[in-house]
Amino acid sequence: MADAPRTPIAAQAPPQAAGERISKSQGRIVWEQFRRHKVALAGGGILVVMYLMAVFAGFLAPYDMNEYSRTPSFAFHPPTPLHWTDPETGRLTRPFVYPSEGARDPVTFQQVWTQDIDADPVPVEFFVRRPERPYRILGLFETDLRLFGVQEPARIFLWGTNNLGKDVFSRVMFGGQVSLTIGVLAVWVSLILGLLFGGLAGFYGGLVDDFFMRLIEVIDAIPQLFLLIVLATLLRDPRNPIAQSFGLEMNSAQIFLMIVVVLGFIGWGGLARTVRSLVLSIREMDYAQAAKALGAGESRILWRHLLPATSSYVIVALTLAIPGFILVETGLSFIGLGPSELDSASWGMLLRDATSKGLALQFAPWLLIPGIPIFLAVLSWNLVGDGLRDALDPRKRR
Amino acid sequence: MFSFIVRRFLHLVPTFVGATLLAFLISQLVPGDFFTSMALNPDVRPETVQRMRTSFGLDQPIHIQYVRWMTNLVQGDLGLSFDSNQPVSNLIKRPIQNSMILVVLSILMLWAMAVPLGVYSAVRQYSLGDQVVSTISYFGLAIPNFFFMLVLILVLFYLRSFTREVFGFNEMLFPVAKMTSNNYGDLSAWGRSWDVMWHAALPAFVVATSGIAGFTRVLRAQMLEYLDSDFIRTARAKGLAQRSVTYKHALRPAIIPFVAGIGALLPSLIGGAGLVEIVYAWPGITPILLASIGRQDIYVVLGFLVVSTLLLIIGNLISDLLLAVVDPRIRFS
Repeated sequence: MADAPRTPIAAQAPPQAAGERISKSQGRIVWEQFRRHKVALAGGGILVVMYLMAVFAGFLAPYDMNEYSRTPSFAFHPPTPLHWTDPETGRLTRPFVYPSEGARDPVTFQQVWTQDIDADPVPVEFFVRRPERPYRILGLFETDLRLFGVQEPARIFLWGTNNLGKDVFSRVMFGGQVSLTIGVLAVWVSLILGLLFGGLAGFYGGLVDDFFMRLIEVIDAIPQLFLLIVLATLLRDPRNPIAQSFGLEMNSAQIFLMIVVVLGFIGWGGLARTVRSLVLSIREMDYAQAAKALGAGESRILWRHLLPATSSYVIVALTLAIPGFILVETGLSFIGLGPSELDSASWGMLLRDATSKGLALQFAPWLLIPGIPIFLAVLSWNLVGDGLRDALDPRKRR
Repeated sequence: MFSFIVRRFLHLVPTFVGATLLAFLISQLVPGDFFTSMALNPDVRPETVQRMRTSFGLDQPIHIQYVRWMTNLVQGDLGLSFDSNQPVSNLIKRPIQNSMILVVLSILMLWAMAVPLGVYSAVRQYSLGDQVVSTISYFGLAIPNFFFMLVLILVLFYLRSFTREVFGFNEMLFPVAKMTSNNYGDLSAWGRSWDVMWHAALPAFVVATSGIAGFTRVLRAQMLEYLDSDFIRTARAKGLAQRSVTYKHALRPAIIPFVAGIGALLPSLIGGAGLVEIVYAWPGITPILLASIGRQDIYVVLGFLVVSTLLLIIGNLISDLLLAVVDPRIRFS
């Protein structure tokens, strides 16, 4: 550029081109920064796919969450092999499966399932209707259309079955509905508590500040897992005073909400602390002082001037809190303290099956599959959070 | 020094009292009490239940119960277990010791793995190794502890069938459950501790992996900051060896926040160890806490909460002291 002729600025941007130079909004800058972060973008993509899968779980899953048959039980059925080539001609054909055949292992007397190759192949059908098993999408639209399925008595268990013969693939699809939403909801509880108490503590200082900071210290002093276990065990009992004072009979939706609130309750301390220190420093800044001088009320200053200034930090902190909540929820479900097992599934609950019957994973390793979506979801949320942090940080602009 | 410790300790008293109060209040959320099921049993006379309630002080109002419990607590008495009628302190001693073995071992492993990794990825910034380290640490961050433990157990089973077929070696490389072998009673003292360590190795490793991600990432950032500073340039200029510059000049200030962080690390490690303990059938705090909370054996639950809270507070205190020892800028005053 050194040899480029020096032209006045006005000449570089002629008046007619002025309309093209629109200044970028904050959101646009952040998005452009975020988009350069390829790994974070990939994480975001995985999350979009996973959340869509959770929404359309009923459509993607060939069976219902708790569907099983008594005879034959199909317990610990290994993943059904899909065949793509014609057994006689060896040519590529539409996918088909063989019916299952039960037998006893001569040594361990375990029930084992093998495919019956002598029987007629059963083609995998797409967009099948199962009128006997309708489901709802988002709890609104009732339908019975499923992406794929096979004619009974043959079954298609893509990822095998658990100790009761329930299809792991279908349960993983439905499990996302719980495991993926619980973290996002708990973050809102944390956000409200953290902003409210952190904002109040930072703004008023003095006794209010002391009270909330001591409260956070007290909650932090008890090991988190133990507090969670105790709270989740005691609160899920419908007879406890808190539930009764609301006149609740704990059903599974309320247990779900209870878990959300407990998680949020455990998680708000760190956020409140940081919001407090940010508010403390912002309160002294010129624009906050100016608002005060203009006669703005306290709550207006707090809500309109102080808290929005903490937003970029808060967004990142919340995004990075979600994977933590997902991990905690799966852990709680794993020890049987998660949402009700009667009519919901969560990935942690599914992993619990791997420890049934002694250690079922020895002979049914497919029961570990539900761990993979947990890993992917937590990883992707972390990547997105890191990407957001870099994108929102003006010092890291590229 | 002594007055520093005393003052620091006094500062912790209100926190501790608050935490016990919170724990006690939460324990009162339980519907009924331990004797509710006994009262429903027609074979037990109502007078018996009433007498037992009185003897445990359960007929008193909550605040009196708390004051009594707290008075006993100060005197080191955690009360009696309803279930086994034994002092709570006897019941919870072993599980806490066992959990501590796991947590301390995993802290050692965490440091042993994370410090070299962090230093390496700072010294070789943007190299292939750096990227591998950051990928691995993301992996450790995202994989749930109990799932990782299950996967490792499965791998051990596969390894056994592999070694059985290839070498005819039909033994597990590592144990997949419990804290001791079956022949533990016959071992010598040295053999016993080795046996426990051998059992603890895998679960401690699993617990450590979850901490590696944060540790290496922050250590890398810290190291990069110091490696860029003037005193490092001076050290290089006066002809010090690279190793000495890295480890003596850059690592020492970079490691300071981690010494302070040991206390903050404890709760997450205790929590992380909890689920691994359940998978591994390690006789630690969490499995027994779960069992006693299921039985509404409230004083045992409270005992675990109180002692683990105390350990946590002491852990924080120790890391404060260590910080003052490591960082010459901090003086007791």
